[in-house]
Amino acid sequence: MNTKTIPVGQDILSPAKQAAADLRADFTRRGIFIVNIVSSPGAGKTSLLEATARHWGGQHKMSVLVGDLATDRDAQRLSPLAPTVQLTTGGACHLEMPLIKKGLEQLGPIETEFLFIENIGNLVCPASHDLGEHLRVVVLSTTEGDDKPGKYPKMFRTSQVLVITKTDLLPYVPFSVDSAVADAQLIQPDIQSIAVCARSGEGIAEWCEMLEAARDRMVASRDDHAAVH
Amino acid sequence: MHEASLVRTLLDKVATLLKEHQGEAVEEVCIELGPLSGVEPLLVQSAFEMLAPQYSLSDAKLIIHEIPLEAKCRDCGALFEIKNFRFRCELCESSAVQVVRGDEFRLLNITIRQAVDNEASA
Repeated sequence: MNTKTIPVGQDILSPAKQAAADLRADFTRRGIFIVNIVSSPGAGKTSLLEATARHWGGQHKMSVLVGDLATDRDAQRLSPLAPTVQLTTGGACHLEMPLIKKGLEQLGPIETEFLFIENIGNLVCPASHDLGEHLRVVVLSTTEGDDKPGKYPKMFRTSQVLVITKTDLLPYVPFSVDSAVADAQLIQPDIQSIAVCARSGEGIAEWCEMLEAARDRMVASRDDHAAVH
Repeated sequence: MHEASLVRTLLDKVATLLKEHQGEAVEEVCIELGPLSGVEPLLVQSAFEMLAPQYSLSDAKLIIHEIPLEAKCRDCGALFEIKNFRFRCELCESSAVQVVRGDEFRLLNITIRQAVDNEASA
């Protein structure tokens, strides 16, 4: 017997990251903008999506893959507003590419401009998993405290947009929007922030405009790229 | 807790490598974890010990190298360590910093046992 050391030097998530990159490229070609929404449980991801669908009406087409450990409660809320597939993970604390692919099969051939992936409520594990999204949005509600970004650095580092929800509760809770944004910017200086209240509709127009502009940039950059080749 | 799912991915990869190299057993698995890898080394170690037998890798010992989080400044080019998740250049205070190391769960190498090959026995 002899021993041999085999050098590898590979990120163990690289096959999953490649699958995510392939999905992103495919959806870019089809003009579908994928948004991965992450937060702790109860931060208001589903309410934000309901408000988004109501704001757009039929103006922009959206579809949703929504992840939970159990029940189809979120899908029941969202289905009347947009094509929605509930993904239940049993016990898993985050979504991974195979579940996304299964959800897309269930969704069927979709004509949509936006695909929202509502991740499992968890500020830890979903941070490590690229799901092929063009934009990662972290949702933080005013009841959670403005000190959270620094406590969950990977989630805020890997997100491009911070949505602060439940602004109607600001008079009742010790939460400073400025402090939360400043804390997030220490970790992700480029993070864009929007404060919203899904119930009153405050900030929802701004949020929707941000999404529309981001999708327009994706389409323009795809077409520029195509023109060069 | 997603350490178990990542360790399964690691063990899959190790088992594949062992087969590719026609080894008999894996002695050591060396990985690198940084502060932004999203996993806790102690939990990775216990998940590895728990799951390795399922991949017929009971003899494998996991060696974890804990590395610092390192970044490069896009403005002044400085290479520096990020402490306390403060993403600012330590020389010029720029916020245009790119993480270069410490944000992945990397498999560095594996050490396998092989039957004495023909060359050696010849």
